[in-house]
Amino acid sequence: MKLPVLTNARKRNLVGLLMATPATVILLVMMAYPVIQTFVFSVSEVTLPFFKLSFNGIENFITAFTKPDIVKIITNTLVWTVFSVVLRLILGLGTALIMNNTHLRGITIMRVISLLPWTVPTIVTANTWRWIFQSDFGVINGTLRQLGLGSLAKTWLASPATAMPSILTAATWAGFPFVMMMLLSAMQGLSKEHYEAASIDGANSFQLFLHITLPGIKPVLFVVVALETISAINAFDLIFIMTGGGPAGTTETLGLFVYRLAFGGGFEFGPASAVSVVMILIAVIGFLIYAPTQKINKKRKLV
Amino acid sequence: MKSKTGYNIITYAIAFILCAFSILPVLWVLSTSLKPETMVFSSPPRWIPEIVSFEHYKSVLSDPRMLRYFFNSFATAGLSTIAALIVGILGAYGFSRYRFPGHKTLMISILFTRMLPRVALIVPFFVTLQKLKMYNTRAGLVLVFLIITMPLSIWLLKGFFDGIPFEIEEAAIVDGCSPLGVLIRIVIPITLPAIASVGMYVFITAWNEFLFALTMTKGIELRTISVGLAFFIDEFGVRWGPLMAASILMSIPAMIVFSLFQKSLIKGLSEGAVKG
Repeated sequence: MKLPVLTNARKRNLVGLLMATPATVILLVMMAYPVIQTFVFSVSEVTLPFFKLSFNGIENFITAFTKPDIVKIITNTLVWTVFSVVLRLILGLGTALIMNNTHLRGITIMRVISLLPWTVPTIVTANTWRWIFQSDFGVINGTLRQLGLGSLAKTWLASPATAMPSILTAATWAGFPFVMMMLLSAMQGLSKEHYEAASIDGANSFQLFLHITLPGIKPVLFVVVALETISAINAFDLIFIMTGGGPAGTTETLGLFVYRLAFGGGFEFGPASAVSVVMILIAVIGFLIYAPTQKINKKRKLV
Repeated sequence: MKSKTGYNIITYAIAFILCAFSILPVLWVLSTSLKPETMVFSSPPRWIPEIVSFEHYKSVLSDPRMLRYFFNSFATAGLSTIAALIVGILGAYGFSRYRFPGHKTLMISILFTRMLPRVALIVPFFVTLQKLKMYNTRAGLVLVFLIITMPLSIWLLKGFFDGIPFEIEEAAIVDGCSPLGVLIRIVIPITLPAIASVGMYVFITAWNEFLFALTMTKGIELRTISVGLAFFIDEFGVRWGPLMAASILMSIPAMIVFSLFQKSLIKGLSEGAVKG
């Protein structure tokens, strides 16, 4: 990027540094410090009420990761992450491909409608789907009974077999529009000439998708997968409100586990921090994969 | 390219199904919220209420507790947005126009806050706020919200600032204007629409925040609407009619913002996610 050619460089740097100081202070206080605290707590016994700390090595990790339901929690987190990312991606990509047919009449209004769930607050999404899946008066069971399929009606959110798929449905609904939006704007950035040239050469829609669209949107696709994966691992609000981790822990993920340890009554701040440390490390790994894509794009843009 | 009718019909059909999937849950909430209490639990389900009633909206808007939650959300999200914009405009402009030691580290940290699990921060935030006697205070909550609002505003604003040519600013500086003067007199006025859209988006993000509002407050005095709706239950169970009316009310600010700024937001967000 070209910088304004002004007075001497040193003075210029100082001005920039001053402008960024408030932001830097907030980052240090609100991000760096809490993250360090989490690491410290994770190797300390935290005694209430004054949060006195005493080093206890890896005891918190052992406590947290030998809890009886830990295997279930990790399995749930994996299932939740894989399915919510894959479902959002498939639906988001599919919708983007459909909504990219600019020659269709009414495409603008259809785009707006398909983006609608993205604007709905997570809390509202959770309550909406809780109401839809409600077993006695919910619209799904009601419709099934109306169609004479009452035997298929289920206590969706209260049965171990259906709770996770039900939350995943809500998560997909809430999350696919963002994926669509990102991919659609990437598709619109692709040059039309390639498509025209390829179709003159007799390529069909699928070949166009495979050889032009897909490689063209690959960088964005990569970023979206990284963002979605991390946000799925870190998910809390939707699951917490829809099932609270139940029934019988079948939907409890790592995020809810941290909350339960710390605020679920036991005030186990040490073990909660141990799980938090693991989550932070996962986020760092995700970030290390994601961050370089940002630089690659920047370089490309400069050229 | 000549369009084939068969292909178009299939495309329309799929588009229709996708739109239905998107909009039906929202319509169902709207429909429930407009039904009289007795018809909320009607079977079979009715999509179009026989009688339109605003009783659930009335009951929400005449409930002092609900009004308190809405006010708290406005106050907390609003204050946090204002703070984030002030810090964010300065920071984003600094990051956009100047290179200084630590520039890269800071930009990377800002980007990282996007991926940092919020739930991993609740224990340290809780402990620190307790120690500072700021637990369950508005100031404490506003401060905690900054970890969401500030990085977002810096990231989005930097994108907008990067897009403005430097020439005007150079001329002003040559004329003896100070860097801060340039920012206040030239850059802010020409980017005001962008700043407004960023401000609104940041506000909505804070408005929707749930986890921090849940863990950093207790009791109802400071509880926000998101927490209020999560515990919308009384001795008769969940009151679905008023809950759906309150949900619609909670979604209104977001709907307004997104319809106003749809284009610039989509541009800002999709660029912000891919470009450095």
